[in-house]
Amino acid sequence: MASATPQPIVSTRGLTKHYGNGIVAVDGLNLNVRRGEVYGFLGPNGAGKTTTLRMLVGLIKPTSGSAIVAGAVPGSPASLAKVGAIIEAPAFYPYLSGYDNLRLIAMLCGVPVKRVDVALDEVELTPRKQHRFSTYSLGMKQRLGIAAALIKEPDMLILDEPTNGLDPQGMVDVRNLIVELGRGERTVLVSSHLLGEVEQMCTRIGVIQKGKFVAEGTIDELRGAATLTVRAEPAATAASVLSGEAGTQNVQVLPDGSFSVKVDLKRTAEINRRLVQAGADVTELRATERSLEDVFMELTGTEAGL
Amino acid sequence: MRALIGELFKAGRRPAVWVCVLGLLAAVVTIGYALPWIAETYSPPSSAQGLPSGTTLADFKVTLYPINFVRQTLQQWAVLGGVFALILGVLLQGSEYGWGTVKTMYTQRDGRLVMLAGKVGALAVVVLVLVLGVFAVAAASSTAAALLDGKSLDFPGVAETIKGIGALFLIYGFWSLFGLTLATLFRQSAMAIGLGLAYALVVEGLIFGFGGGLLGDWVKKIQEWFPIANTGYLADSFGAIRLRGLPAQAAPYADATHAVAVLATYVAAFLVISALILRRRDVTA
Repeated sequence: MASATPQPIVSTRGLTKHYGNGIVAVDGLNLNVRRGEVYGFLGPNGAGKTTTLRMLVGLIKPTSGSAIVAGAVPGSPASLAKVGAIIEAPAFYPYLSGYDNLRLIAMLCGVPVKRVDVALDEVELTPRKQHRFSTYSLGMKQRLGIAAALIKEPDMLILDEPTNGLDPQGMVDVRNLIVELGRGERTVLVSSHLLGEVEQMCTRIGVIQKGKFVAEGTIDELRGAATLTVRAEPAATAASVLSGEAGTQNVQVLPDGSFSVKVDLKRTAEINRRLVQAGADVTELRATERSLEDVFMELTGTEAGL
Repeated sequence: MRALIGELFKAGRRPAVWVCVLGLLAAVVTIGYALPWIAETYSPPSSAQGLPSGTTLADFKVTLYPINFVRQTLQQWAVLGGVFALILGVLLQGSEYGWGTVKTMYTQRDGRLVMLAGKVGALAVVVLVLVLGVFAVAAASSTAAALLDGKSLDFPGVAETIKGIGALFLIYGFWSLFGLTLATLFRQSAMAIGLGLAYALVVEGLIFGFGGGLLGDWVKKIQEWFPIANTGYLADSFGAIRLRGLPAQAAPYADATHAVAVLATYVAAFLVISALILRRRDVTA
């Protein structure tokens, strides 16, 4: 019987990178990116995102641990043939035009040169394709980088902070492009320190902090279930009713005297009725949902880069 | 093959490569032929001071004529032209670090060693173009000098010319790979060009210049394993140009076979060193 969970296209086991000066950039990372998803690799600056991505494309050799990317060892021709990547800022030859830079990439990848025009079209760079790369704006450079990553029609795109340095419109354009690229069977692994960005683009998220994985799941899974906030008098009566309805372990007294109750929100009206029937005066009853920012701050102990 | 084609594409479209090639060709015409011809044609009689009796500067013009163009090219341009080859080697590799394109290249399709092979292949083609250009320009300039002076247009035999091209290709191959290896080692162009030029123009000459004066002949035993000495042996193996009234030059300390073996060993060593560095080192730029 086929498994409901798609096979991972990226799988790492205990991936670790130490640098000579005692810095542990990545520490025992077990990352699983499934085929066809847009996976957000989230973490504050310096958390180890770029080092991890460099290991996934073979630019950096891990100190220990292993990784399989697109069915092969990272950096091997078999893996590189299926992966398009931009690591940090896109880097091209400043004296060549955008078109010639992509032509060069096509030559190196062994794909027909006609793919160049298709890729340029996909990122809407056709009108500037004959201009030198050195004359491009940051947004155009980023789009050219994405076009270069797309030229071999890869199974997977690895994009490292693709909106870095872009103006608001450029960020929106690149985000929309990534969402578009992630439709269908292509996998996109995108790193970011921007929560809003990840929330808009990604189907699943992994959070890294100080080189270690601290959480992984869908955005809803990471946020956890919404809770019900209840304020009622007398407090003892309210506590008794709420414990009876949701279980003692799911009721928490907050510092301001209100209660946080983990319960299915569909039961809100029923719980209100029980409180009133028990003689409690209900002054507040509302659903509380944790934001991804709260989760991120809880997990990493840092402020989200919003 | 993909890597070679890609590297040739980059090199062929890079203005700095052509500036280097055309710069050397311009130097061959001006410094190698035009200025000496003018100086030796229009020199005042007093300029013969210090020369043996009966010898004038005009006697030196024999070096500018076609029959000597292979020897003259090798002896005059082995080191000076080598500096241009060194810069080409540095540019082709060092700029990849400067622009950050090393990560772009290594994340396409082929592994690092294949990419290095492509770059070395492209460098070999560029150096061959440089060598052929130098010989072509030297041949044309020597023809012009002979026509102006009404001298013979006899050229050396084809075999000697081909051997000369091969010798200069090996010499420039050494210099260009020296540059490529320095750029790989330092991951940049500036330091590589600086150190390469210092070695080419100062270090070996100074060490053995002083050493030879102070410590005697055995220094030559050591020097015969150093690259610039061997480019000299190889160039001199084509024979010295006899000038009227001047004594014949001493035969080179080591023969052409020795020089070719030593230079080829340096070339192989640079390839191995570059390959080892590229294979092992993380790309963090």
